[in-house]
Amino acid sequence: MPTDNKRVRGPELSQSPALFACKAAPVAPQQGPRADGRQRDQVDVRPVFVRCGLVSQAKGSAYIEAGDTKLMCCVYGPKETERKDETDMKCGRLTTDMRFAPFSCPERGSWVQGSQDKDFSLMLHESLQPALCLHKYPRSQIDVNVVVLENSGSVLAHAVTCASLALADAGIEMYDLVLGCSIRQDGGSYVADPSYAEETYCSSDGASDQGRLTVAFLPSLNQISGLQSDGEMSAETLTAGVRTCIEGCYKLYPVLQQALIKAVRKAGPPPSES
Amino acid sequence: MATVQVSEAEKVYILHGIRDDLRADGRGCEDYRHMEIETDVVSNTDGSARVTLGHTAVLVGIKAEIGKPRPLVPNEGYLEFFVDCSANATPEFEGRGGEELGIELSNMLYKVFNKHCLDLRSLCISEGEHCWLLYVDVLLLQCDGNLYDAISVAVKAALFNTKIPRVHISADEDGGKEIELSDDPYDCMRVDVENVPCIVTLCKIGHRHVVDATLQEKACSVASVLVSVTHSGSVTCTRKVGGGSLDPESIFEMIEAGKRVGKSLHAPLMKLLQQEESLGKRRQKVGFLG
Amino acid sequence: MHIVCVANANLQLLSLVGPFCAKFIPVCSYRTAEPLEYHRSFLKENCRPDGRDLSEFRTTTLNIGSISTADGSALVKIGNTTIICGIKAELANPTVESPDKGYIVPNVDLPPLCSSRFRSGPPSEQAQAASQFMADIIESSEVIRAEDLCIDRGKLCWVLYCDMMCLDYDGNILDACIIALMAALKNTQLPEVTINKETSAPEVKLEKKHGLTIQKHPVGSSFSVFDDSILIVDPTAEEEILSTAQLTVVTDEEGRLCSAHKPGGTSLSGEKLQECISRATARQKEIQKLIDKVLHSVKSAE
Repeated sequence: MPTDNKRVRGPELSQSPALFACKAAPVAPQQGPRADGRQRDQVDVRPVFVRCGLVSQAKGSAYIEAGDTKLMCCVYGPKETERKDETDMKCGRLTTDMRFAPFSCPERGSWVQGSQDKDFSLMLHESLQPALCLHKYPRSQIDVNVVVLENSGSVLAHAVTCASLALADAGIEMYDLVLGCSIRQDGGSYVADPSYAEETYCSSDGASDQGRLTVAFLPSLNQISGLQSDGEMSAETLTAGVRTCIEGCYKLYPVLQQALIKAVRKAGPPPSES
Repeated sequence: MATVQVSEAEKVYILHGIRDDLRADGRGCEDYRHMEIETDVVSNTDGSARVTLGHTAVLVGIKAEIGKPRPLVPNEGYLEFFVDCSANATPEFEGRGGEELGIELSNMLYKVFNKHCLDLRSLCISEGEHCWLLYVDVLLLQCDGNLYDAISVAVKAALFNTKIPRVHISADEDGGKEIELSDDPYDCMRVDVENVPCIVTLCKIGHRHVVDATLQEKACSVASVLVSVTHSGSVTCTRKVGGGSLDPESIFEMIEAGKRVGKSLHAPLMKLLQQEESLGKRRQKVGFLG
Repeated sequence: MHIVCVANANLQLLSLVGPFCAKFIPVCSYRTAEPLEYHRSFLKENCRPDGRDLSEFRTTTLNIGSISTADGSALVKIGNTTIICGIKAELANPTVESPDKGYIVPNVDLPPLCSSRFRSGPPSEQAQAASQFMADIIESSEVIRAEDLCIDRGKLCWVLYCDMMCLDYDGNILDACIIALMAALKNTQLPEVTINKETSAPEVKLEKKHGLTIQKHPVGSSFSVFDDSILIVDPTAEEEILSTAQLTVVTDEEGRLCSAHKPGGTSLSGEKLQECISRATARQKEIQKLIDKVLHSVKSAE
């Protein structure tokens, strides 16, 4: 293993104190109301706080907070494409980069992007690309950077929402906003917009229909641009889950529209026609 | 991924064919191409399989090693995936060209072959100290579309073929544990693959979707959905890939079709694997050139 | 058409319209075409394009304890520049050379998100230099005694991973990093750890937490030198690029100099340096007051 001499290094091995805890951490309740007071089996998503145009250096930026999940996204470009060897120059190129701050999860993350981060970046890419009018940006590249400041569940879903807001804030032409929503299926019941504990909790009794599902949705076109699920579910449960997620996305839509209108107003009144 | 250029006329030909449930190579929309499976092809692995699907060829080798369980799940072993996109498969993979695809494929494999489908606890030797670690190496030898399906079948076959030597734990004088390997080379543990899923990729082409798309067909499709299905028909993993979006109804149809196709894939596969196993040493090895 | 305007729009025009009329179109293009001249014309009038005078800091705001997954956290904004610092504490074995000391591992990350000048991949030279600078300050000013982080001599100690991430790069990240780090350290709560005598395994009581003892409160002040002589405080990203030299002075609450960091550039006279140090001392008082005020309001809100 080559040593990393570009950072201030700590000891070779260190462990989270939570591993030695005397009392086990409280687990999410399986029945009844959820730990944060929301309802089970209802599209009870956390209220979101969104803001556009916070970062002075970026073309467009957005910040989203849902419960304790905090994400920030910046968009740079369109600028000249870095890859010159691509044969298809008629379309613009979208690059996505998603990373977790080392302090964002209960377990400390590493500095180097892991394969999980790359996987998230890829899914973000697949969810956003259908919404962008990339053919309007030939020979250019649009960079989307997402940083997760605090992970309290449903990170990918909120990253999609945040990134599409930042793209809109940057004035990139789009067919529609992309909204993300996820659910956690737990046996016969489900929780919408799960928290970290609800997301990672695994049932010990090996009950069927255990899984997580994230959907990215274009509300005005009624199209799904991203779909990702894992765990074991029957096809019927999965279909019902997708419908639930779509419903969750519709709940978010007005909030995001308001945030965008606010950002546009703040940017200044439209120039007079003269 | 390896792509081909398709002209407008070719696209129309493929689209119209699929509309009438007749594909360019004579298949229906939910038919697979000819598939060949051979297990136990690499002698220095603990389990291996070779699968060809049309002209797509993959080789999977599994090596079992003793390692330390992960601190969060001390009573389970685990699997490690590595997908090597050899430059043999397509010149695009030369240098670091295949790296991205390799990461994408191995991430997907992690999600598909998780604890829902394998009894990872059976891979534990002593809790918190030793467990079996299965290194699953996938080598892409030739790409002709539908990599995910071919790889998942190959991994399932290789897991079926895997023989993990049995170990015994004995306590020594100081109360420490000692691991002893069985002397009998035939005394080994098998992995239960009954619940291991297969991936079915459905490509949306025109208003329909097809199973096992060739590269030409893939070039006509805007987006596809991967569905991994177990023998009982439950879905363990889904994922939309590709640059387009799909309307909810067609996603539901695709999940349903994936479930149907996937479910019907398992029984003949298991039968085949058991048949090959029962032949034992009498089996004539075909190899890669067969 | 704009180009013609720029040619005509010389300094006379600027002095006529005044420095605050930045929306005036010729001024805008003047800023892009001749940034150095543009800045000089302001500095001649003892002010800066954003309306500050030469020794004025941008508004500094502080938010403490907003990240619940971190053991301590703080978000600092100096003007547009935003730094977030999160501290994660982990358990490790101390080194053989110093068995009674814990570790503090500060790292500054400049992700591609914060400015278009940074690429993804390994840390840039600037990020490496900033990380090293933070490590030097922690060591030289003894912010925390490394002995305080020891739990069991030679066996177990705390590691404090202090990760500072830039979210918006508009100059002067070093000052912001120091404020963020100090505020996050003051916010850090460590669980109680005891060593089980029989198994000699650590036992952590997550519900019993205590803060850290902060020995010193260093605060930094950064300066940029224009045309080898004009000294401005708290430079923006644009000013940083145009300046001929940069200087960061770090002092603690007793007015002692912890660090003076001047990476190359043009030379600076002794008097000027003295001026910087006295400005830094005044800044230290302001910032310490700010940190205490915010910490107090966080505590009373609980």
